[in-house]
Amino acid sequence: MFQPLDWIINEYLPQLLDSFVNPQKRVSLGYLFIALLIAFCWNAWLMKAQSVKGFGKVWESLFSAKIWFSNSAVSDYKLMFINRAIMMLINPAMLSKLAVATFFYFLFLDVFKNTPAILENWPVWTAPVLYTIFLFLFDDFARFFIHRCLHRWPILWAFHKIHHTAETLTPFTVYRTHPVEGVIFSLRATFVQAISISLFVSLFGKNIDLVEIFGVNILLFIFNITGSNLRHSHVSIRYPRFLEFILISPAQHQVHHSIDPKHHDCNYGAAFAIWDYFGNSLQLSKESKNLRFGIIDKYKFNEHTLRGLYLNPFVEVRGILSRLF
Amino acid sequence: MMIRNKVIGTVAVAALVIGCTVSETSGPALAGPDVYGKFPVTLKSYKGSKTNTVAYTGQMARQVLHDSIKKLAGKGDGNANPELKAKMMSYFSSKEKGRAIIAPKSKGKFIIKQTHVDQISKKKNLSGKTYKGTISGMPNNMTGPELIKFWIDKASSAKKGVDAANGYNYPQLISKFMLGAIFYNQAVDNYLDEKMSAKKKPNNKPYKKGKHYTGKEHSWDEAFGYFGMPAHGLTLSPKQLYDIAKRKDKALKYADRNGDGKVDLYREMVFGPAYYAAGADKKGKTTYAKTITKAFLDGRKLITSAKGKKLSDAQRASLLKYAAVIEKNWEQTLAEATFKYAGSCFNDLKKLKKSQSSKNLKKYIKHWGELKGFSLALQTGRKKLGETGARLNRLIGFGPVLMNSSQVVDINSKGQYVKGQSSGVDEYMVHMLKVQKLMVDEFGVKARMKDALSGLGAMVKKLGKGESAEND
Repeated sequence: MFQPLDWIINEYLPQLLDSFVNPQKRVSLGYLFIALLIAFCWNAWLMKAQSVKGFGKVWESLFSAKIWFSNSAVSDYKLMFINRAIMMLINPAMLSKLAVATFFYFLFLDVFKNTPAILENWPVWTAPVLYTIFLFLFDDFARFFIHRCLHRWPILWAFHKIHHTAETLTPFTVYRTHPVEGVIFSLRATFVQAISISLFVSLFGKNIDLVEIFGVNILLFIFNITGSNLRHSHVSIRYPRFLEFILISPAQHQVHHSIDPKHHDCNYGAAFAIWDYFGNSLQLSKESKNLRFGIIDKYKFNEHTLRGLYLNPFVEVRGILSRLF
Repeated sequence: MMIRNKVIGTVAVAALVIGCTVSETSGPALAGPDVYGKFPVTLKSYKGSKTNTVAYTGQMARQVLHDSIKKLAGKGDGNANPELKAKMMSYFSSKEKGRAIIAPKSKGKFIIKQTHVDQISKKKNLSGKTYKGTISGMPNNMTGPELIKFWIDKASSAKKGVDAANGYNYPQLISKFMLGAIFYNQAVDNYLDEKMSAKKKPNNKPYKKGKHYTGKEHSWDEAFGYFGMPAHGLTLSPKQLYDIAKRKDKALKYADRNGDGKVDLYREMVFGPAYYAAGADKKGKTTYAKTITKAFLDGRKLITSAKGKKLSDAQRASLLKYAAVIEKNWEQTLAEATFKYAGSCFNDLKKLKKSQSSKNLKKYIKHWGELKGFSLALQTGRKKLGETGARLNRLIGFGPVLMNSSQVVDINSKGQYVKGQSSGVDEYMVHMLKVQKLMVDEFGVKARMKDALSGLGAMVKKLGKGESAEND
């Protein structure tokens, strides 16, 4: 019999804690600390802070109560706690990653004419290096592609807009997500990882290690220690122009969250900007933009109540479907 | 201070050693509710003096006949040997007196009580209890007994029972096939099935005229005997059961429950079916041996609780639930073994691709014999496997694919193998992977020994769970 208290103590809380200590998670404390350092230096440079008072102002700019305790941010925190529980309950019913990997493994063997391990004689280092790069690139492309679909398909947008109703951005806005989106993201991860693993095992015929740091894909680690958490913040770090064609800067992602219609439907990428470049959706960041975040939507609702956040997408989807059929 | 620490340390180590020793030796000493027997006489009409109704000596004699044939099948010298063939046949199909136990025999400190089959049970053979259906996994629609006779003939003229040219290891083929076609089939398709029906072998009548046990009591006991588990098997760990089957010196104390210094093949030995269940359980992911043994014991207690009356519908329904547990788990042990040896063959072929040494080839042929034997055994149960059986037989073929891509594709009217050209070793390796997948998909195997796809699982695990809903 399901014991709620036992479940909370033995499963929910440890997993919640894991989000803050597991280097595979974006909001783990190490990454947050590094993001803080980067943000502090950036704002200090922008504000030309040289004295203790100046640094104090920088600190205040980063930890303004208007941002961290806004209705928008508080609803982010609530969603983070509730969604974690919902996803834990949904997860056992989700597709098994191993089953999908096994399916694709046999599919690839058929594709390769039942010749397993055609690359097994390649130098030892090639398998882990190629696997690490492929996994990161494929995952990043899948994130871009799904994100683009979430914006362009009205039914999916009904759910994704929950994320875009955020009016203040903090690293925890990453969890401002509807559970339906959570399922989509989980499926995305399942397919990306299963396809990558099965492809490389069928090509190299053995278990392949990731090139990793602290148990994390080295490329993902680099992405996270270079301020990935600042994408959702008011610290508008820009990259040199040429680099913003290759990598999405925090400022570019903030443009993606802008309420201004001319910024809509751009910069879907997570790490790489090249997908947006080829998909004609890339916008470079501009200097000293005081962007407003949020959405203008005819389905206006109370954006920051749990009832609105969880239920309104379904109301909107019902409206879309009734118009279609 | 240092001396005091040393004394404390020594005492702690000594306590640990004594604790371990006590816990090891205490296993066999356990008795009572976890032991299969004795069970009292419940038959109302019985007026004799016997007090214990448990009897499955015939089944244990057949376990010994099986072990002995397996041993004999490896005795050939590469030339036709009618004498050896006749001897094997005497263990398979005759009921003659005086047959010595070829295996299992005493080994080191592991002393076995009996030396002759008749000391366990007289006038027993295997052919009469072998699955009579056709074996579609081999050519020519042979029945179970026909296939075993065919293999016995081949084994008698093969050097140490191995035909390297065609890729057959007869001791393995014969033994593993018998584990299904005799022991599994008799238990699940006869004693736990037909003889558990309302009309056959009722519980208010003797099994046979003059016997002191009822129809249901003895039918259930016979099924237990085919599993090959010692009566006190439930008190032993999978590792201990495994060690007993291997006749290790240290296993004497686990096996010798009555403390007479010898292992009684009737009540204290581990035989094939139970050995493979325990072998899978050693990985810690399954409990086949325990689950099956407990279901046997609980079922027997239920029959005894009827006190010699005809079983009610409710009692029989409960009994059939125990039978279903036994059948499902037993089937899974055969599927686990099929899974394991498909993985072994995959690994062997990997090695053979690098070095075609006779040692590597010998291993491959042995493992293929085990794979083929178990895959055929799996198809001799109560349920017909249908498409799963057909796929299994096609994937494994009539013989192993050898390094020159040749493979036995038929047996002609003279009983000679006909070879053809397969699509190659690489494709056959994929077949082995597909056999493993089939066992997972159709039978839900969990122990998954020699999992050729374990790399996938390890890599999936490494990338972690995706339970959080992180946006972009």
